[in-house]
Amino acid sequence: MDRMACVDLPAFPLQLLIRSHAEWRDRPVAVVDADKPQGKILWVNERARSFRILPGMRYAAALSLAGGLHAAEVSKKEIDKAVSTLSRRLRSLTPHVEPAEEDPGVFWLDASGLERLYGSLSNWAGLVRSELTRCGFHGTVVAGFTRFGTYALARSKRGVIVLRNAADERAAARRVPLDRLALDPDTRDTLAKLGIKSVGKFMDLPPEGIERRFGYEAHRLHRLASGVLRLPLQPERPSPPAMQRLILDHPETDVGRLMTAVERLIKPLLETMAASGHSLSRIHVGFRFERLGDHLEAIRPAAPTLDAAQLLELIRLRLEALRRLPDGVVEVILAGESVTATREQLRIFADKPRRDPAATHRALARLRAELGDEAVVRAQLREGHLPEAGFAWEKVDEVPVPKPRDVDVNALVRRLYTRPLPLPSRPRHEPDGWMLRDLKQGPVVRVLGPYVVSGGWWNKSVHRDYHYAETQKGELLWVFYDRARRRWFLQGRVE
Amino acid sequence: MIAGSRAGAPASQPNAPVAGGVRRGLVVPDAPAVWSLSAFTGRLGEISGGYTSAALTLAFRLVLEAQRQGEPVAWIAKRGSAFYPPDVARMAVDLDALVVVWVTETLVAARAADQLVRSGGFGLVVLDLGERARVLPPVQTRLAGLAKKHRTAVLCLTEKDREHPSVGSLVSIRAEAVRTHQEEDHFLCEARVLKDKRRGPGWKHREVCHGPDGLR
Repeated sequence: MDRMACVDLPAFPLQLLIRSHAEWRDRPVAVVDADKPQGKILWVNERARSFRILPGMRYAAALSLAGGLHAAEVSKKEIDKAVSTLSRRLRSLTPHVEPAEEDPGVFWLDASGLERLYGSLSNWAGLVRSELTRCGFHGTVVAGFTRFGTYALARSKRGVIVLRNAADERAAARRVPLDRLALDPDTRDTLAKLGIKSVGKFMDLPPEGIERRFGYEAHRLHRLASGVLRLPLQPERPSPPAMQRLILDHPETDVGRLMTAVERLIKPLLETMAASGHSLSRIHVGFRFERLGDHLEAIRPAAPTLDAAQLLELIRLRLEALRRLPDGVVEVILAGESVTATREQLRIFADKPRRDPAATHRALARLRAELGDEAVVRAQLREGHLPEAGFAWEKVDEVPVPKPRDVDVNALVRRLYTRPLPLPSRPRHEPDGWMLRDLKQGPVVRVLGPYVVSGGWWNKSVHRDYHYAETQKGELLWVFYDRARRRWFLQGRVE
Repeated sequence: MIAGSRAGAPASQPNAPVAGGVRRGLVVPDAPAVWSLSAFTGRLGEISGGYTSAALTLAFRLVLEAQRQGEPVAWIAKRGSAFYPPDVARMAVDLDALVVVWVTETLVAARAADQLVRSGGFGLVVLDLGERARVLPPVQTRLAGLAKKHRTAVLCLTEKDREHPSVGSLVSIRAEAVRTHQEEDHFLCEARVLKDKRRGPGWKHREVCHGPDGLR
């Protein structure tokens, strides 16, 4: 069974502030949104609370209550940098880490399959907490089964908690007070007036009324808490360091020939960086000698760049001081340190396309010659009610540079059969259920529809009742009943 | 100026760190395996699926990523069955830039792929092969070599269960694409990597997808 863990570092911006000012640890400290008298207090520590300084108060008002109050802003950039550093440290203990987008200080970790590596999940969770302590943070680690369950418990408990089974997690999550969760304060107060102060009581509410009464966010929380919406872990995708290496056939001592090897490597290195939106701020050129071991040279251009010619010139200058190397080089390695590239740098780099359009078109011409003009096509959408009328295939002569839309919709794709496949007629009695195609698929267990497509009465009348049929084996088939032909057809399947 | 920093060091010591983070031997990537075009670039790969297949959907996520990187993409399919273009357009794929090549059988598909990859003009070439597809070893060798040379991702889509072997022994990465229904129109699409000659099998990728209109 898949396991998930949640790490909660409470009052994360406050922890960041105290971490960077260790001398403030025993004093009243607050995080403000702006370092001026009208600035609003966002987070306070226990010492400040003892002076009755609370979040929401103005900085000037807080100073009047505690003259020794230390406060500062914590910028989003600092928070993002700390989250990124912590994610990197946590990735040494688990392959997948998902920092919460809207709740800095909360991380979900993939805890599956780690028992064998660490002895037990408790050991692993303890190591996670120790790692956080080493980084200067305190927090809670809960190893459980679901995103919401682990999150709710991490927000309400302290220390390290490992849940043995999903039922224990559900029962414990139900007892968590609602005010521990990121719920809109007005919604929370209204629920409290109705006597709903725990997650369990919130989950017992009928879902239909929640969106109407409390809005989309409360409804989403309800779906997460009740397990209706189960979001898998969406781990971060860190960019691997840009590196290129070349093993030479023979040990090389000539600097000129080594530069040829460097020239072969620098273009793919810069392409990798440009693809991730970075430019090179420093390049490390490594030589592995046959007997003398490794040597590394670090070269920094005047400014971060993606210009191969400039970098090659700098490397050449560094190596030209030598006439001959002390030993034969058997491997050349280039590694780059990167920074975020400017739009101009990426534009200049992108203007030189990676792929040769002429080569693309020549390949298509060869295929047209071999397979026929009708064999190389592209899809064009059309207005049409029937699925097969919603697009057409047209011949391709030239391929433009792809311009996909910016909107990202995760949608399932259907497979369409060019000619709908006729299905066997349904017998009157189906003792084993509706067998759509053959016994291997099993009978149909669920049918959605009908979705009627009807028209064309002026030409050739069409009336189709479209359905989705799910078989016992889980196949989702796209079928329709053609009223004119009185027959079932298979249009395609969801894949 | 340049002298060996570790005189007399042994010939091979896998992954021992050296100056500036440059390692010996095979570079073990620090970052975990990620389902993205870069995992398939330069390799012959396969995405297979059985009754609950999500192969088309996951393949088109890679098509979209390739297009976002400005890479031309070609889709080779047998006449009679192909992706449904309106669904692909909904995913934001640029249909104008997606070349589709119709073929009659697997061997012709492999030859077409050879032509496309050999040109160096494509970043991703997908062969939609269907059931019981096998690619002959000489063809696999050529495709794998060309993919590596031109840094093209060559991806075969097949219909089979995980127990069945891949289209060939030179497939460098193979994933099983599985779809499960969660709730309403949410479906969990999972890629379970069965074979990965670079990182080892066992890693997974998951994403939640929306079904087409009418499917809940």
